[in-house]
Amino acid sequence: MLAAAACRSSRPATVVAYVSEDQVFSEPILKDFEKQTGIAVKAVFDTEEAKSTGVMNRLLAEKGNPQADVYWANEPVRAELLKQQGLSSPYRSPNAEGIPATFQDPDGHWTGFSARARVLIVNKGLAAKPDSILAYTDPRWKGKGVIANLLFGTTTAATAALFTTWGDERTKAFLEAMKKNGVKISTSNGESADLVASGEFGFALADSDDAVSRTRQGKPVEMVYPDQQEGGVGSFIVPNAVVLIKGGPNPESARRLIDYLLSKETERKLAFADCAQIPLHAGVETPPDLKRIENLKTMPVNYAEVARKMQEIQPFLKTWVGY
Amino acid sequence: MVDFSLAVEKGERLTILGHSGCGKTTVLRLLAGFVAPDAGTIVLHGERVSAEGKILKDPEERNLGMVFQDLALWPHLTVSSNLEFGLRARGVPRREREERVRGMLQLVQMEDRARARPAELSGGEQQRVALARALVLEPLALLMDEPLSSLNLELNLRLRREIVRLQEELGFTLLYVTHSREEAFEIGTRVLVMEQGRVERIGSAAEIRAGIKELRN
Amino acid sequence: MGRRATLTLAVLVLAAVGLLPLAGMLGRSLVVEGRLSLASYEGLLASGRQWTLVRHSFALAAWTTILATAAGLPLGILLGRTDLPLRHVFVLLFSIPLAAPPYVTAVSWLAILGRQGLLATSLGPAVAGWTATQFFGLPGCALVLVATFLPIPMLLAMVHSRTVNPRLEEAGRLVTGWTEVLRRITVPLILPGVLLAATLVFLLSLGEFGVPMYLRYDVFPVESFTQFSAFLNFGAATAAAAPLAVVTFVLLGLEWGLLRREIRHIQPRPEGEAPPQIALGKARRPVFCAVTALGVLLVVLPFAALFIQSASPGVYLEALTRAADSLLRSLTYAALGASLLVLLGGLLGYLIHTRALPFWRGADLMTLLLFAMPGSVLGIGLVSLWNRPGTSFIYATPVIILLGYLAQYTALTSRITVGALAQIPAAMEEAAQVAGAGWWRRMVWIVAPLARQGLMAAWLVAFIFCLRDLGISMLVYPPGRDTLPVRTFTLMANSPAHLIAALCVILIAATLVPLGLLGMIWKRSGGFRGSA
Repeated sequence: MLAAAACRSSRPATVVAYVSEDQVFSEPILKDFEKQTGIAVKAVFDTEEAKSTGVMNRLLAEKGNPQADVYWANEPVRAELLKQQGLSSPYRSPNAEGIPATFQDPDGHWTGFSARARVLIVNKGLAAKPDSILAYTDPRWKGKGVIANLLFGTTTAATAALFTTWGDERTKAFLEAMKKNGVKISTSNGESADLVASGEFGFALADSDDAVSRTRQGKPVEMVYPDQQEGGVGSFIVPNAVVLIKGGPNPESARRLIDYLLSKETERKLAFADCAQIPLHAGVETPPDLKRIENLKTMPVNYAEVARKMQEIQPFLKTWVGY
Repeated sequence: MVDFSLAVEKGERLTILGHSGCGKTTVLRLLAGFVAPDAGTIVLHGERVSAEGKILKDPEERNLGMVFQDLALWPHLTVSSNLEFGLRARGVPRREREERVRGMLQLVQMEDRARARPAELSGGEQQRVALARALVLEPLALLMDEPLSSLNLELNLRLRREIVRLQEELGFTLLYVTHSREEAFEIGTRVLVMEQGRVERIGSAAEIRAGIKELRN
Repeated sequence: MGRRATLTLAVLVLAAVGLLPLAGMLGRSLVVEGRLSLASYEGLLASGRQWTLVRHSFALAAWTTILATAAGLPLGILLGRTDLPLRHVFVLLFSIPLAAPPYVTAVSWLAILGRQGLLATSLGPAVAGWTATQFFGLPGCALVLVATFLPIPMLLAMVHSRTVNPRLEEAGRLVTGWTEVLRRITVPLILPGVLLAATLVFLLSLGEFGVPMYLRYDVFPVESFTQFSAFLNFGAATAAAAPLAVVTFVLLGLEWGLLRREIRHIQPRPEGEAPPQIALGKARRPVFCAVTALGVLLVVLPFAALFIQSASPGVYLEALTRAADSLLRSLTYAALGASLLVLLGGLLGYLIHTRALPFWRGADLMTLLLFAMPGSVLGIGLVSLWNRPGTSFIYATPVIILLGYLAQYTALTSRITVGALAQIPAAMEEAAQVAGAGWWRRMVWIVAPLARQGLMAAWLVAFIFCLRDLGISMLVYPPGRDTLPVRTFTLMANSPAHLIAALCVILIAATLVPLGLLGMIWKRSGGFRGSA
């Protein structure tokens, strides 16, 4: 017994993390964690951009014998899905303090941090500059708008959020009008951004990191936070979310990794990285081209409700996209 | 093949004569164990080796030698390796292997080509190697399937005599399949004439030769 | 262990590695909300859109197959048999797209054909507008996939055309010129190899969804993908792969029908004799120009962009520091995978060629079915099957990746082995048998050495496919131990373009350098023949 315990403790501590946040941005954070704590991180990465079927499917397939300790989701809806499927454990990290309650699961199954915002990426050559998602239905921008496939990623979540805010009827009418106004569907937000940058289209609704990376590369685009005007619906906020997997092999190291991800230090790093994510703790330093969360008009949503709505509207979206 | 029955005596030279497609190659393949007879049995040295559609003893266990129509010399092995392969498979110790290979190559006058590869040999030389490869294993019987058909007449005549000489020297049982009457009569002490899968006639070389002459007159 | 036992074991291994996970997925697709149901399949047929998707898929697969075979077959003969200058360079050049993820090729093409592409800047917006419209559709998809899969018929035609018995060609040369001899004698003789190449290209292009998705040409595999990615519905995703299974059955039936009349004993080229080289004579210069033009069009043009992008100082250093460990793992996994594939595929190929066991057809069907299945379906099946506390020595280690390779790619090695064995006269093995050699001895000392050229080709093809694999390895790789394609793919999102370009160049080099080395060995040994 004693020997076994000794043996166990002598093995270097590890944590298995499944990561949906882009590898370019998440890997340095995990490396810093390794350096600081001596805990080795074994990661499985995924990419929303290229829409691999990786991490989420793997988590579900591994349900009977979990291999992961932590899931770093790049948006809260998948985290919420894991909760619904009974794959997550509650954990309230001390570092979660100061993060607005909107961005946390009330039962502690997931906690949000460093967020992206849904923004308009606008080609500088466009004569009239849109400042609202309503531009998609405005004849002035007929055939100029592109949006990522509504069935995938943050675009689905953002659409579901509209449904919870505007109600089914108004949102469906909006989507139909969008189609009539000649919107084009791209495979991902990154591709939307590239298509706008290359001038194939005039504007796109995408994530703030897509916009910031293109402007920093000197592409002829600018980022517009949509619907900030009086009575506007606001910008949908997509925080990262971290989940403790139920029955994972290294729960102790898992908690330490979660604490680390939710720290102000991590939020600061992600703000200054090229993903330019908005810190959710107040008072974290940010680069000049990034708006602070408190200066932004955000879409008032409940993420659990958005997740439920998302599953509900998928058949509708499938028809809408034409699948 | 229908109603085919044949008994071969130990140490005799039996030639099977027939047109192409009469089933004479099949007789050899049945004996070797590559195919099983639909009905009937094949007995080797008093042991049933094939019966009623089943192969009871695999070819590698029958201890027969065979010279194939196109010789089937292994192109990636040298002459001596071609000979050594079977001895190795039967677990003959190295020293004995080398001795037997050397002796056999001497017997077929190929000792100076031991390190050559089959592609470097002339047609007659290849023939001798194929013969040596089969004989070095000291088989119960040697099966030869039209081995000389692709050679020129002079070479053909020389090798016929050599096969007879080797058989008389070593005393193995020989089953020789051919479509050439001269070959059949010169090599065989007994000749079997086959037609459409049947034994048409069987007898001593002299009897069969006489019979054919009679038929002509 | 005898022949029967070994071959049966080989079939059982593939069944356990590939069929079992697939059966698990099939089971899931038949259970909806806890009850046995065909709902997943009915859903598939319900919408009229499925038929459009099926039509699109077939159009793309058919065009890709026809064009890749039509170009790859003559190209393979030119490179394998004639005195065309720079043959070895061309072989490597045309192989580049197979080594790169097709998605990358598509992205590179956009840099040329897009609205802001090279053509637009040089030929004006009218032309560019037209090319861009064409690119985003069937022609663009076919272009990318033809370039990607062209090496398959090319390499197979090369290998097969070198094994044809020169006597047969010489007999023809007495009465007519080389063109006619190649057309009427050589090509019909290597028809089984050409058909194999066409079948593989057809199945690969039918299953490809990255490129059509990027170029917005909706095809069937997108459905399975969507079910996985958007709906996380394993059952429906598996059901959506059912048409691929049907297609495999049909293709195999067609092939069996076509080749049944073709059973003949090919007399192979005698050992030690080099295949006669065809002198192009006056045609040498124009043919060289034509091949160069094709190479520029299909490979140099799109990939030059990649090389230029990656040509910034320090980027390779950065790429290597980020991916050196993945590269090393990739090479190791691919080498191990290719070796296992040659072993398993070799045994199954022997079974299929000799028809030694009554279920040889079943074995053939099983390999092709698994080859046609989406990697994601097999991957999830493998996870569900092996992720158990008792089998962590498989699932928590790279063994699972090797199982994935075996499950998906055995058809490649088994079919290439069948082609190689067809070149060996049956008497070779029979002679060993009467000499008293047991089955294993015959395999190791006679059959394998005689088939070594084919087995080498099988190893190379398997190596390339393992090295470029994404579908399965993405889903099963042990945490922290990814492969280079996986890392390139996951880094692709929002990484600087020059880094991605450098990673792609490294991936291509990782595939082509071993290929080039083996090509040199091949050349030295006189095309795998000559002296052993």
